[in-house]
Amino acid sequence: MHNEVAHHLHHLAAEYERQGYSREEALRLANREFGGITQVQERCRDERRWVWTTGLRQDIVFGWRMMRRTPVITAAAVISLALGIGANTAIVSLMDRVLWRDLPLPNPRQLTLVHWKGHGYPQELADGASGSMSPAGAWDVADFFSYPAFAQMRKSVSALASVAAFTYPDQVSVSFAGRPTVARERAVSGNFFSSLEVRPQFGRLLSDHDDTYAAPAVAVVSHRFWTRALSSDPNAAGRSIAINNETYLIAGVLEPAFYGLAPGDAAEIYTPLHHASFLHARSGEMQNALENNRYWGMQLVARRATGITESRLEPAMDAAFRATWEKPPTNLAAAPRISLDAGRRGLGILRDDLREPLLVLGGLVTLLLVIACVNIANLLLARANARQKELAMRISLGCGRARLMRQLFTESALLAILGGIAGIGIAWVVATLLGQFVAGHETIAIGFALDWRMMAMISSVAAAALLAFGLFPAWQASRRLDAGPLKHGAGSIGALSRRGWNSGRWFVTFQMALSVILVMTAVIFTRNLAGIQSSDPGFDRRNLILFGTRPGTSGYDKPRLAQFYFRLDQRLRATPGVSAVGLASVRPMDMGGWWEAVQIPGQAKRYDASVNAVTPAYLPLYTSRMIAGRNFDRADLTAPARVAIISEDLARRMGGNGVLGQRLEIVDGRPGAKRPEYDIVGIAPAIAVTSIKERPSALWLPFTGDAPEATVVLRTSQPPQAVLPAIRQAVSDVDRNLPMVDTITMEEQISNGLQRERMFATLCSGFGILALALSVVGLYGVISYSTSRRRGEIGLRLALGAQPRNVVSLILREGLGMAVLGILLGVPFLWLGGKYLQKELTNMKPLDPLSLILALGILLLAALFAAGLPALRASTLDPAETLRQE
Amino acid sequence: MRMAKKTDLIQGTLDLLILKTVAHGPIHGYGIAQRILVTSKELLQVQQGSLYPALHRLERKGVLKAEWRETGAGPMAKFYTLTAAGRTCLRQEMEQWQRYAGAVAMVLES
Repeated sequence: MHNEVAHHLHHLAAEYERQGYSREEALRLANREFGGITQVQERCRDERRWVWTTGLRQDIVFGWRMMRRTPVITAAAVISLALGIGANTAIVSLMDRVLWRDLPLPNPRQLTLVHWKGHGYPQELADGASGSMSPAGAWDVADFFSYPAFAQMRKSVSALASVAAFTYPDQVSVSFAGRPTVARERAVSGNFFSSLEVRPQFGRLLSDHDDTYAAPAVAVVSHRFWTRALSSDPNAAGRSIAINNETYLIAGVLEPAFYGLAPGDAAEIYTPLHHASFLHARSGEMQNALENNRYWGMQLVARRATGITESRLEPAMDAAFRATWEKPPTNLAAAPRISLDAGRRGLGILRDDLREPLLVLGGLVTLLLVIACVNIANLLLARANARQKELAMRISLGCGRARLMRQLFTESALLAILGGIAGIGIAWVVATLLGQFVAGHETIAIGFALDWRMMAMISSVAAAALLAFGLFPAWQASRRLDAGPLKHGAGSIGALSRRGWNSGRWFVTFQMALSVILVMTAVIFTRNLAGIQSSDPGFDRRNLILFGTRPGTSGYDKPRLAQFYFRLDQRLRATPGVSAVGLASVRPMDMGGWWEAVQIPGQAKRYDASVNAVTPAYLPLYTSRMIAGRNFDRADLTAPARVAIISEDLARRMGGNGVLGQRLEIVDGRPGAKRPEYDIVGIAPAIAVTSIKERPSALWLPFTGDAPEATVVLRTSQPPQAVLPAIRQAVSDVDRNLPMVDTITMEEQISNGLQRERMFATLCSGFGILALALSVVGLYGVISYSTSRRRGEIGLRLALGAQPRNVVSLILREGLGMAVLGILLGVPFLWLGGKYLQKELTNMKPLDPLSLILALGILLLAALFAAGLPALRASTLDPAETLRQE
Repeated sequence: MRMAKKTDLIQGTLDLLILKTVAHGPIHGYGIAQRILVTSKELLQVQQGSLYPALHRLERKGVLKAEWRETGAGPMAKFYTLTAAGRTCLRQEMEQWQRYAGAVAMVLES
């Protein structure tokens, strides 16, 4: 390129030389004739390459240089963007997965959940039930049906829909190739998979032929179970697996995409209803559960045929449902009637549970995104103000407006890309954290992955903010064609900068207002968690170990069960390091439990109580004294006279210690059935039994030793971990084939029950800290920018005798003024948010004064820090130096 | 010769003149300027500032190709030749020009 021009000049010069000019003169004339060499070269370059690509490279290189010159602002903008994008993507992806997304099945809109609505439990129609019932408006909506009702409905609406039945998952002991484990088994009708249109990964799924007593027992396992318990054995289909000690053949493995009937579905093994494990192990009503139209234990799902609406299907199913009742109930208006609900998103396992928490979290991350965007705007405006001279210089040197816009656009885009990349990382971290929290200690897989569409959506919001505020200064600068800012010295406040500075102030104030909400929420939830964790359960939670044992599902029959429990108890008692051993039929602190309504016979008032059947040594594990009466003794376990111990508060509600020695009956749902009655022999102190959050009324009955499963609670004289090997050995000595289920300490058990609270506290604290960090950066940026603009003024003040502390207080006043104004503006929002939280989370008091003081204190401290640094820096200015610069 | 009255090129004709000049055989930038000046009896003077950008533009469009060669005397020079596309382009441009010039002439002579 250069050579080509040189060659041209060479010829021109030669020409002039021929005309008689001297060599120097000839060169000079040639150069003059040719004109601006550089301009020609530049125009050639423009012609030769694609212009925008060269320009782009220039822009990027220059942009990168500018970013590196202001590393703090760049880092702050990138981090703000990344946090905003990352946190939002993770939360919104989770919300989408749990709340909004359809099941991964063909035509999910055809799926319908079959419910019935009525008024209360249908006592005239059903003796037993398994399922859930919840109030919805004036009605109660329930999901349980008898097997005969299912069979009738399936048959009579077969032209309109394919109806399938399933049960709630049961926890079962499984053994494959000699390795025992625990899993959840869901019993399903033979047409379950064909109705849902699920495909196998390999092998086959169930059919109606499998769902008879005569057919050999087969089971289908989930892909997750196949990987975790069958070691991804490619020949698993056709091999046998023991479920609760019964042998099943594995028919096939489900496709990986099928995570169950909803995100969070714990079912891993599917058996035909006629080979459900609950039909094997238990006695009584369960054994003919499939023939009994008074046992309502099936849940139903239907796939409607093409073109059939729910309103068309509903009456047909209702007629079939009613046809299976023994006789019409006395109050027909209140009798159950079929109510169909959309099934495209599956069961509401996590959806119902997590809706409110997720919406609250969604709101919080949206605020965070707003704060992040405001921060970016603020930082970019501050930087643009600092660059005013540069921009003005470029314009006066002939840079076109479009070129200038493009440069700033490129810089913004660079920031957006860096922020986006960092955002992916943050989204991943938050998603991992969330997945763990949602899954809790159970092996619930929600199959949660980041959603790239969400990421794109949120990134574009942030990028739009970024570009808008990135381009604004270019537009502003290019409108001013004079070189106004050039005329001002470094220390002056030009008209433009004054305006930018003001908008920055408002941004910071707004940010502070939003931060109030986030910081307050963080403080509330953290205090809530701390409060619950440190609340007194009424016993010493240290040095307690729990584990479950299930002899009933491993081949022990009734007479041998009691023997087993006795031997286990004896053996564990003799284990070194174990100071006491108690057995209970219900695991303590497990959030659920066994609840019954109890009453004194002849009295009308009923009381809800948490029930547990325990050995005599169980209560002394928790509390060494009885309020009144006596503890159980060995004789109570076998004596025909049935005895009970009640908690102190239940006794008080029933009329004080006078109830000692009275009879108490458990109110059973079945009309006409003989109610079990007990003599109250003792009153125990109130302790937390199901969760650390409350100490409900409790009723203890003697552990009779015929239960198929039990939880063992041990108090150790040494740290639990040190005693655990000996305990394992002891259990193995009694029966080496029996697994210890969920062996954990009481502290872990309590903590497991607080997953939800912990998730909230951790995420809210995280968001609160982020909001605070972003606001501090914003405030710091504005204050240090405004002090840098006022260097001259400050220098003058110092020169005229102002003390450094006067300068500090001058700047601090400005910064704290903004912060306080923001906080004051935030408090009304806080009040509204507090009301919302109070409504959703009834056991919390969001606006307690201590939390308020704590949150405001944190915010003010942060503001002090953000304004204090620039203030200190300004107070150490050398007046002579700053004045010279003016 | 520097004293002669020169006519500025009509917008758009530079490319045509370059193509025509290059069509005679490989030639460098200075040669192109000189030849146009000479063949137009010194009436058409190509602005050096426009010549090189135009050459580079034509090269990018693929109607010219260039290579560095030794000249008889002096330094290496960049020689331009017409590509196949260039020949087509030249033919079209010439036809267009003649139609245009003819039309202008008809209007002026009417």
